[in-house]
Amino acid sequence: MLQLHRFTLIVSGLALIACVFLYSTLGVAKPFVNWKWTDIVAEGGTAVMAGIWVLFTLSSRPGGLVTRLLAGGLSMIMIGSFADCLDEFFAISKTARWDHWIEALVPLGMLCVTCGMYYWRHEQFRLNEHLQKRERLFRDHRAFDRITQLANADYLRNGIREEQARRPGQPCALVLLDIDGFHLINREFGQREGDRVLQAVGHMLLLNLRNDDLLCRYAGDRFALLMPETTAAEADALARHLVAMVGQMRHHAQSGRLHISLRHASANADAAPEVLLAQLSRELAVKAGNKAVGTDVA
Amino acid sequence: MIAYRQIGDSCIPAQHQPALVLDYACSRELDHDGAQLLRGTGLRSWEMPAAAHTLTPNEYLQLLSNVMRALDSPDSSFMLGQQMLPGHYGALSHALLQAQNLRQALDILCAGHARLCPLLTPRLREEGGIAVLYWTDSFGAPSQLPALVEMHMTAVTAMCRWLSGERLPWRYCINRSAPAHVEQHEVHLGSDLRFNCHLDAMLIEPSWLDRPWPRGNAMAASVALQGVAAEAALTPSLLTAMYDYLLENIRLGPTLEGSAAAFGISPATLKRHLARHGSHFQAELDQVRAHVAMHLFHMRGYDNEAVAQYLGFHDATNFRRSFKRWTGLVPSLLRDALSHS
Repeated sequence: MLQLHRFTLIVSGLALIACVFLYSTLGVAKPFVNWKWTDIVAEGGTAVMAGIWVLFTLSSRPGGLVTRLLAGGLSMIMIGSFADCLDEFFAISKTARWDHWIEALVPLGMLCVTCGMYYWRHEQFRLNEHLQKRERLFRDHRAFDRITQLANADYLRNGIREEQARRPGQPCALVLLDIDGFHLINREFGQREGDRVLQAVGHMLLLNLRNDDLLCRYAGDRFALLMPETTAAEADALARHLVAMVGQMRHHAQSGRLHISLRHASANADAAPEVLLAQLSRELAVKAGNKAVGTDVA
Repeated sequence: MIAYRQIGDSCIPAQHQPALVLDYACSRELDHDGAQLLRGTGLRSWEMPAAAHTLTPNEYLQLLSNVMRALDSPDSSFMLGQQMLPGHYGALSHALLQAQNLRQALDILCAGHARLCPLLTPRLREEGGIAVLYWTDSFGAPSQLPALVEMHMTAVTAMCRWLSGERLPWRYCINRSAPAHVEQHEVHLGSDLRFNCHLDAMLIEPSWLDRPWPRGNAMAASVALQGVAAEAALTPSLLTAMYDYLLENIRLGPTLEGSAAAFGISPATLKRHLARHGSHFQAELDQVRAHVAMHLFHMRGYDNEAVAQYLGFHDATNFRRSFKRWTGLVPSLLRDALSHS
């Protein structure tokens, strides 16, 4: 990412060098005994921190208005406080005005950052729409699985607890979905194909969910669905619909079409998450056994 | 004289288990980070290693540790286990593929563990209406043990599920506290899980051992097993050989000196070799005695008195105290924990 912003970085670097040059030619060096260490640490520290923020911002964002405002503003704060710090090493004549202008970059930069934050907020609202059905109520970037981009079991357990605390007594349903014979797909076509199946199923499920539902990857080929304000019966109907949709899906592996089917188990999310999930897992294992011997009527 | 291998002996063909780890790491794009991750593994690139290249157990452990640290995901050990068995390890893998039932598969696994699963040693016991497959550390890697156990239990579970065509009703006893990522155990192993067990074991009803498997082929299996017999048998690791020796002599009060003589080395050398595997004689002896005690409690229904007598303790009180030292629990507590299954 930093490659993208090479120009911004070079300009900021040059500005810092120019400051040193200006102060060292136009000012008179102060003797060591007159250095005020508290000011040097405070102002220099601000400059260093602002510099780090610039790097963090640029290294994590593509170009655009918000990036320009945030990085530009932070660079101004960095240069302003750096000049302020140089003040402690060089005496500038009282009549000169230019150093005041450089130091005025700090409030100007803050204004820029504030504007940037304002637009960043808008940007964030748009991005939240993308994350709909993948997160609810709280955000934890570490919880996202790299393959399906869905949240993990930890996030799910927290989600269930939060939902129970927020609306005690209200119905809330939990569904687990397993891919039938997923281990055979892994054996016959390799784990890479298995990963692609997980991605495809994840997308298919997301498309068929309501905006308030939360889809997580529980572990392996098991997906979990948290449905607030939904009774167990409604959830079961919705899960059947999802199972049917995935059953209709065409997944093309390299060696031809793969048929994918799911099985599900649902319950009211009214117990402790661990207990609930373990119980649904057991139900799924029983269903897998029934399917294997062909007695499944569901 | 008992032959054994040590943690620094080159004996694991790089194209066997290490190649699977490399392949999984590449599928997770770890190869993009360069060869930094291969430091200390004896491997230089992410490509398929040469057929003649072998790794020491130490290097293979390092490879696993590097890859798991870089992936930083609770499912790594389980995913690596999925592919591990029957594997592509020559005649033994063929024999596993053709196994006619669970008993034959587990017998092949236990007999060929040095090639099939070099890091942990599986042992099968059947008595008192239960069959137990339990695992012990082959080369002394305590910090990696939880991940290795997850990996090996997943390997056996997934292999049996594939070859038998159904999910076998295993019960799992795991020698660790309940982990935060218990969902991985539930999905990759099964929902009948028990933690804090002082033994890493998989339990199953003996009736499952002899059910015929759909892919089993008696002729092909015996041909493959003849192939296995033709291959040079691998000597077991020091810790495995030690465990077997102690188990055999457990009622005779084995000593460091006696054991060293059986291995054909001096007591000082045995001490040094054990230390290289992060262990010492007393720890090995205590582990075997604890396992024997648990076996007697659980499978033969012995009480404290009987076990104390079997193991040559003067009285039950002495045994109780020793058992507490080995496992951190008094016998009755552990017996209750095991029998509540």
